[in-house]
Amino acid sequence: MKRRKFDLKSVPAATAKGVDERFQVATPLRALLNKVFPDHWSFLLGEIALFSFIVLLLTGTFLTIFFEPSMKETTYEGSYAPLRGVHMSAAYASSLDLSFDIRGGLIMRQMHHWAALLFMASIVCHMLRVFFTGAFRKPRETNWIIGSLLFWVGFLAGFTGYSLPDDGLSGTGLRIASAIMLSIPVIGSWVTSSIFGGEFPGDIIISRFFIAHVMLIPAALLALIGAHLGLVFKQKHTQWPGPGRTNDNVVGERMFPRYAIKQGGYFMIVFGVIALLGGLFQINPIWLFGPYEAAVVSAASQPDWYVMFLDGSTRLMPGWELHIPIGNGYVIPPIFWPTVVLPGILVGMSLGYPFVEARMNKDKESHNLLQRPRDVPERTALGAMAVSFYVVLTFSGGNDVIADKMRISLNAMTWAGRIGLIIIPPLAYYITHRICLGLQQHDREVLAHGVETGIIRRLPNGRFEEVHQPLGRVDEHGHDGLPYIGWTVPKKMNRLGALGPAIKGFFYPIEKPADSPVSPGHPPVSSGQEREEIGSGHR
Amino acid sequence: MSTTTAHGAGQEPVDLNDPTLKRFDIVLEGARQDGIEIVHYEPQFEPGSKAERRMARTIALFFLLTGLAGTAFLVIYIAWPWGYEFGAGPDKLYTPLLGLTLGVALLGVGFGILTWGKKLLPREVSIQDRHDGPSSDEDQKVVANTMAYMADELGVKRRPLLGISLLAGLAPIGAAAAAPLVGGLISQPHKNNQMFTTAWAPAKQEGGGQKLIRLTREDGTPIRPDDVSTGGQMTVFPGVPGGATNKHADSPTLLIHLRPEDAEKARQANAREKNAGYMYGDYIAYSKICTHAGCPASLFEQQTNRLLCPCHQSQFQITDNARPIFGPASRRLPQLPITVDDEGFFVARSDYTETVGPDFWERP
Amino acid sequence: MTSDTPADRRGGRTRGLLSRLRSGRSGPRSRGRRRLGAAARLLAALTLAGGAYTVFAPGLQAQDTPQLSIAGQEGKLLYDQSCVTCHGRNAQGVQDRGPSLIGVGAASVEFQVSSGRMPMARQEAQAERKPPVFNDEQTRQLAQYVQELGGGPQLPDGRDLKQGADPARGGQLYRVNCSSCHAFGGSGGALSSGKYAPSLRPASDRQIYAAMLTGPQNMPVFGDNQLTPEQKRDIIAYVQETLKGDKDSGGFNLGRYGPVTEGLAIFLVGITALVFASLWIAGKS
Repeated sequence: MKRRKFDLKSVPAATAKGVDERFQVATPLRALLNKVFPDHWSFLLGEIALFSFIVLLLTGTFLTIFFEPSMKETTYEGSYAPLRGVHMSAAYASSLDLSFDIRGGLIMRQMHHWAALLFMASIVCHMLRVFFTGAFRKPRETNWIIGSLLFWVGFLAGFTGYSLPDDGLSGTGLRIASAIMLSIPVIGSWVTSSIFGGEFPGDIIISRFFIAHVMLIPAALLALIGAHLGLVFKQKHTQWPGPGRTNDNVVGERMFPRYAIKQGGYFMIVFGVIALLGGLFQINPIWLFGPYEAAVVSAASQPDWYVMFLDGSTRLMPGWELHIPIGNGYVIPPIFWPTVVLPGILVGMSLGYPFVEARMNKDKESHNLLQRPRDVPERTALGAMAVSFYVVLTFSGGNDVIADKMRISLNAMTWAGRIGLIIIPPLAYYITHRICLGLQQHDREVLAHGVETGIIRRLPNGRFEEVHQPLGRVDEHGHDGLPYIGWTVPKKMNRLGALGPAIKGFFYPIEKPADSPVSPGHPPVSSGQEREEIGSGHR
Repeated sequence: MSTTTAHGAGQEPVDLNDPTLKRFDIVLEGARQDGIEIVHYEPQFEPGSKAERRMARTIALFFLLTGLAGTAFLVIYIAWPWGYEFGAGPDKLYTPLLGLTLGVALLGVGFGILTWGKKLLPREVSIQDRHDGPSSDEDQKVVANTMAYMADELGVKRRPLLGISLLAGLAPIGAAAAAPLVGGLISQPHKNNQMFTTAWAPAKQEGGGQKLIRLTREDGTPIRPDDVSTGGQMTVFPGVPGGATNKHADSPTLLIHLRPEDAEKARQANAREKNAGYMYGDYIAYSKICTHAGCPASLFEQQTNRLLCPCHQSQFQITDNARPIFGPASRRLPQLPITVDDEGFFVARSDYTETVGPDFWERP
Repeated sequence: MTSDTPADRRGGRTRGLLSRLRSGRSGPRSRGRRRLGAAARLLAALTLAGGAYTVFAPGLQAQDTPQLSIAGQEGKLLYDQSCVTCHGRNAQGVQDRGPSLIGVGAASVEFQVSSGRMPMARQEAQAERKPPVFNDEQTRQLAQYVQELGGGPQLPDGRDLKQGADPARGGQLYRVNCSSCHAFGGSGGALSSGKYAPSLRPASDRQIYAAMLTGPQNMPVFGDNQLTPEQKRDIIAYVQETLKGDKDSGGFNLGRYGPVTEGLAIFLVGITALVFASLWIAGKS
């Protein structure tokens, strides 16, 4: 009998075989490893959100181990001298301990907070990318809805987290939140009383927000993120139009090896940037705000940036109170409109937009190719309008700080916000619309007449004219018939290869001109664009 | 090795048992089976070339940087004096140093991996078919019929009683599932008339009399008129146990000592609004809780007699019944009627006569 | 205006009145009546000023000068050079220009002059902090002069007013009394219609003490009965030692302006850096 020899080299293969016999993974794994992803910088914005969410989970888990979600009154005896002997809630005391008495606790707290700001910021950027490129159209409406919900659930996660330390800033935020709930007609006082367990502030809200912040909301976020990614996977990513790219294919890199490596590397970069922010930039110094006391407020008490638009709308709202003279009389306070009705409208509008646009355009097709913003001027202009509306509100949310630091009258800032909110969005619509049309026209012009060469020619009759380099074959009228395919039109000679390549790079050239890697099997869309390359196509 | 030949989707299947196949050919065959065509696959460097070695060294440098920064992180984490010291000691650098080393370590890995993937791996362009039309007609038909068949078998249509009774059963059990949560949370907002009263309400004494509540500082000491200078203001709390704590979050009040001429204006304004006699001398007291969103409206400007709320910039004119003159507030601040007791300390003559704090539906 | 002749004095007074009349708020009245009224008032003012002078001038020489201490006399000289235009000959104030300084006390003068707010460069909503015109010695002399004129609150001696004070207690007082305007980190904040609470960063011990004691401009007065001298020292200790002396534990503090600058930072630093990274990652090369 041959003696069995232990062969180390065969271990991986044997293990793999064993795994497959039990779980049948080879076939799905092949499909997964081979899956093709298109490559463009703007497709990575959503990843920032995903990665900062992972950082949030990691740092948040650390924080829960030390945080005590209780409003029980204690006297601080920790090492931060300026607060020693001060009465405060256990929640605030444990937040101080996290900052001063737990080794490395402060950087964890700061990373958690920065990651939260980054999470929301990247969601907004990602959402704008999806909106302006039309990536929300059929078949991806569901994913657009999930994404919008992610913003609002993230908003809640942020607000509950902001409230937990129970410092002066969180208490002020809670106070305003309770006023917002109170303002809801008919049921307002019942809602507030139920959530706070009695009159504000009660003694249970921190525990309730804690469980929402560490369990309910993260679970909802995880579920939504899972569904979001699953749908991206199932429906495959959209791609920019370009040579070789159609509605029925995906051009890019396979999951393995390049795409996965890029994702892993980018995660490390996001993580690294959050670590740098968390260490080098101080965020929310709760020890300066002191414990929450109902009579105490600091100037410049603001919410985090993603809530600031609601604070801004509240500040701009004139004090119009609706009085209903029935019985003893009923009241709808002015704070109800900008903080309950406005977000309601915004949620409805964002969720419904894909369907509204499809209906307006009578568009029932599936779209896997993105649109350049300039090619859909109405949508782009609407988006600009929405963005400017949001920006005016966000700036108004910080208008006291702006007024103070820029030496502008506070009242003038409020009025500027009120007027700006009415004037700027339509203006943004008009200007964006005109810019889109102008860019479109220039594209068409270059396609029809060719690229400006910079060569001036004198005609026999003495006139001067610039020589244009046509992009395609020229017909007898001097026009070439190149159609517009929804992608960048080369507008400089070097992009045609007729001149030296543009030198790229920040401080020194970083790349040699790309040759044209077009496969013989896949002829480009038209012969005139032979020099265009297939690729990720950013620029 | 420039493999810009077309493989995959359009190609004939390859016999995987062919011993002459290279490993990459098997990869290509796999891609083909997934509807992928690798149209461009090209290493960026000649294997073994100088440029490639240089690139590998760069990447190695990134990883070594990570190792260095990671070690530094650990050393700092363990050895740096991190305990809080008042002033500008080395503990103030603890968090920044941790952030710096951790950040550099992570960025090192990130850039190392990315450079590896971007520079050393062959550039590739792959095309995959989407296949994302609707399911085939047959599948649709089979599923539709299966569902209909299930409904038939259950006989919901034939036996309406079952459907109705099931609904009648489900509704209560669903409600029962939600009931503990809602029922546990729900809390009557008007218990003890809490939304309309504050701790300033005079305490009932044994024997039927009423004890007026003193105005106190945050430490509970009572206040004499000459404790607040002309043009001064003081945050006062009801002189009850825990009066300055968050238990009585609706009670903080701002006591202001107006200049005589401003006080006269305020008195006249008070008389107009049937609040005559709420002031004591030149002293006037308003709720500190903003009627807009409940922040403490406490930025008192002693020359203009305006009170500003820092949360949403509502401005109240103190000499005109604290009427809102700018910003989102719609209701004036409630005024606390004050006087001085036998011992010369400020007391509240009664509770607020208007509702304190942010507005709500049933505020009369 | 260094000359001290009676004629000049009267002239200055008249000029002030004239300019006031010219820019006066006479609105809807007819021009003729206005002129008449102006002339009558001018006459009355001249008579009054002249009369007042004749009544008080000997008395001034007789009572005032000998009573002033040496520092007070030095202060009067400085006063006559720089302050008299707006605050009047004997610090009784000039309407629409400057308030009376009788009874404001040395503390107020020291606050206004040592922080450079006075002398004012021009009339504006709020006097701004500037490099001071007078040195410490001169400021003390001016303060002495005003103190001797009409009395009023005075500062305790010494440059360092926080010795032995308790910053923790000061912190609690700061949060209740100060942070609503000067903000949690002492960076200041906006008030209504262009007014503002200044940053406490450049303020000295004595200036903070004086501000609490006298309530300059729109700041409320925190008299010694409300905040005892010990409590004032505690607050000063909190501002100077904790807010300024105790460096931030969490890295660069972004100006301590709260979530506004934090929100700005996440876009300008975080998102910008990551977008550049993604441009590089997705770039072809």
